[in-house]
Amino acid sequence: MEKMTSIIAVVVAAAIVLAGTALYVLYDLGDDDGDGNTVYYVVEPPSSMKGTLAAGQIDGYIAWEPFVSDSVVGGVGTVLKWSGEIVPNHPCCVVAVHDPFISDDEGQELAARFLKAHMNATDWINAAMENKASPEYNLLKEIAVDFTMRNESVVEEALDHMTFHYATDDDFTVALENFTEMYLDLGVIGEEKIADGGYENVTDFVDQYVNGSYLEIAQFVEPVDTILNPDSPIRLGFLSGDLHQLAQAVAKSSEVLGNGKSIFENYGLNVDDAIGAPFANGGAVMDAFAGGYVDIGYLGSPPAILKHLNAEVDTTILAQVNIEGSAIVVKTGSGIDNLNGLVGKVVATPGESSIQFLLLKIVLQQEGLSLKIRT
Amino acid sequence: MKSLAQFIRGTVQRNWRRVLLGALSLVVFFGAWQTYSWYLNANDIGYKAYFPYPGEVAEAFLDSFVTPDFSGLLMTDHIMASLKRIFLGFTLAFAIALPAGLLIGSYLTAEAVGMPIVEIFRPIPPLAWIPIVLIVLGHLSGPVVIVFLGIFFPVLFNVILGVKRVDPLLLDAAKTLGAKRNHIFFKVILPFTTPYLMTGIKVGLGIGWMCIVAAEMVGQYGGGVGYYIWARTAESNYDYVFAGIAMIAILGILTTGVASQVERRLYRWMGMK
Repeated sequence: MEKMTSIIAVVVAAAIVLAGTALYVLYDLGDDDGDGNTVYYVVEPPSSMKGTLAAGQIDGYIAWEPFVSDSVVGGVGTVLKWSGEIVPNHPCCVVAVHDPFISDDEGQELAARFLKAHMNATDWINAAMENKASPEYNLLKEIAVDFTMRNESVVEEALDHMTFHYATDDDFTVALENFTEMYLDLGVIGEEKIADGGYENVTDFVDQYVNGSYLEIAQFVEPVDTILNPDSPIRLGFLSGDLHQLAQAVAKSSEVLGNGKSIFENYGLNVDDAIGAPFANGGAVMDAFAGGYVDIGYLGSPPAILKHLNAEVDTTILAQVNIEGSAIVVKTGSGIDNLNGLVGKVVATPGESSIQFLLLKIVLQQEGLSLKIRT
Repeated sequence: MKSLAQFIRGTVQRNWRRVLLGALSLVVFFGAWQTYSWYLNANDIGYKAYFPYPGEVAEAFLDSFVTPDFSGLLMTDHIMASLKRIFLGFTLAFAIALPAGLLIGSYLTAEAVGMPIVEIFRPIPPLAWIPIVLIVLGHLSGPVVIVFLGIFFPVLFNVILGVKRVDPLLLDAAKTLGAKRNHIFFKVILPFTTPYLMTGIKVGLGIGWMCIVAAEMVGQYGGGVGYYIWARTAESNYDYVFAGIAMIAILGILTTGVASQVERRLYRWMGMK
C-alpha cells in the first residue's frame, strides 16, 4: 500500500518536473530585448485588452473607443498617442451599401434617404456635443450608454476624443489610397486583385469604390409622413458597442426628434437590425453582405477595402461615419512616455488587418522602429 | 528486401476493395467541392470568393510554406507553434490525469475527494475559459492550458473506467497466486487499463486540436495554425484560409496516427498482442 502510494507520488512529481522542463525548454521565457528597435505585437480582441493590460500580460495596446477611455477612466491605462496625432483626420468607420440593394430606383431612393438620416443624426450629435449643458447632450449620453453598455464617465471621456464626420472629402480618399497601397506592399492584397476587380490602379479603385453622389442627393431629401418600405425593412449591419457608430443608434432613437418618431422614420424609412447584428467586427458585416443578409452597414474602412478586393464582396462606400478616435494606451505607472519606451515590449492590436494595426505600424516607422509579431 | 513498389502493389492487391472505395470517396468529395465552387462562380453568387476551387487551395497550401505571411512567418513556424502547444498541453494532461485516474479508480477515498471537483469542471467546455485564462495566464501559457483542459478529461475518465472494469476474477487469481499489491497494480491493473488510456489519449488529442484553433484565435505568442486561419480570414484570402484548415486536418491525422503507433508498440512490448 505505502509502496504504491509512494510510486504514484514519484510518478506525479516526475511528470510535473518533465512538463515544467518541457515548458521552459520549448519556450524562451526570458524577456526578449530584440535588436534595440523592435516593438512586439500580439493579436487579441479589444474587449479583453483592459484586462490583459491590468494583469500585466501586455505593456500596451491600440484600440478604438470606448476601449481606450474604458482603461483611462478605470485608472488602468494612460494614452500614449491619439490616432489623430499619427494621421490627422484619418478615416475610420464608413457607411457601405450592398450593390444589389441600389440596383433599382427604389433602392437608390431608400439609400439616399438613409444617408439623409445618417447626416441628420451626425449633425445632431455634433450640435449636442457643442453644448454639454444641453438636454440633447444628456440624451446623447443616455443613447451612448445604452449602445455601448459602458458607464457615463467612460462615454463622456470617449466622446471628447471623437469626431463624427460624414463627408467623403479628399483627406478620406487620399487616406484610403494610402491604406490600400500599404496592403499591396505587405502582400495582404495581391497585385492582381486591383485588375481583377476591374480597376486601372489604386486611385481608380478608390474613385469608384467611394460614391459620394448619394450624399449630394441626400441634401435635398425632405421628411415624409408615410413609411416608404413598410414590408421590406432596410437590414442594417453595425458593430457591437462601437461608439464610433453612434449615429445609427441616434437615428433609431424615438426620443431625439421629440415627436415620437425616429430620424429614420422621419425620412420614411423602416430600418431593422440585420440578422446577426450587432456584429463582432467589420469583417463579419462584409461577410453578411456577401451572404445577402445586410443591405446597409456601418463598419471600419479596412475590412470594407479588403473584403471588396480579396473576396469580391459587391459593396460601395457611401459616407464616412467618424474620423480618428483610436489611441495607443500604455499601463498607468509603467513610466513609458514615448514610443521608444515600447521597444522590446508587447503591444496588443485588434488584428493585422485593422486600421489600428496600420496606424501603429505607421507611427513606429516614423520613429525608425519596427513592429514584429511576438514569438 | 521488398521494394516500395512491391509493397504498394501487395497492399493494393490484398485490400483492393478498400483502396478502391476509399479513392472513390475522395474523388466524389473533391468533385462535389469543385462543382460547388464552379456553381458559385457560374451564377456569380455574392460569396463565391469564399469557396475557392480545390486547385487554388492546393496552390495556396504549397505557397504558405515558401512565402512568409503578413506577420513574416511561414506555415512551418505556425505548425511548430501549434505542435508545441499540443505537446505541452498533452504532457501536462497526461502527467496529471493518469495518476489521478488510477487513484480515483482504485481508492474510494480518492474517489470521494476527487469526483465532486471533477464533476464540477468536466461539463465546462474548455473554450469557455479562454477570456479568463488569457488575462490570468497570458498569451504564452493560456492557450496551452486550454489544450490541457481539452485532453485532461477524456484521459482521466477513460483511466477511471479502465481501473473500474478490471475483471475481479483476475484480481482474485493474482491474489491467490500470492501477488503483492504493487504486483497486482503493475501486472494486472495497469495492463488492463492501458487500452482505455490509449482511447482517452486519442479522443483527447482530437479535442485538443479543436481547442487550440479557438485558443489561438483569441490570443497567443508566435502564431499557430489556428491563428493563421483567423488572420487570413480577416484579410479575406480564403484560398489560404482553406489551406490552414487542411493543415489542421493533416496535423490531427498525424498526431492521432502517432498515438496509434505508440499504442501498437506498447501492446507488443507488454505482450498483449
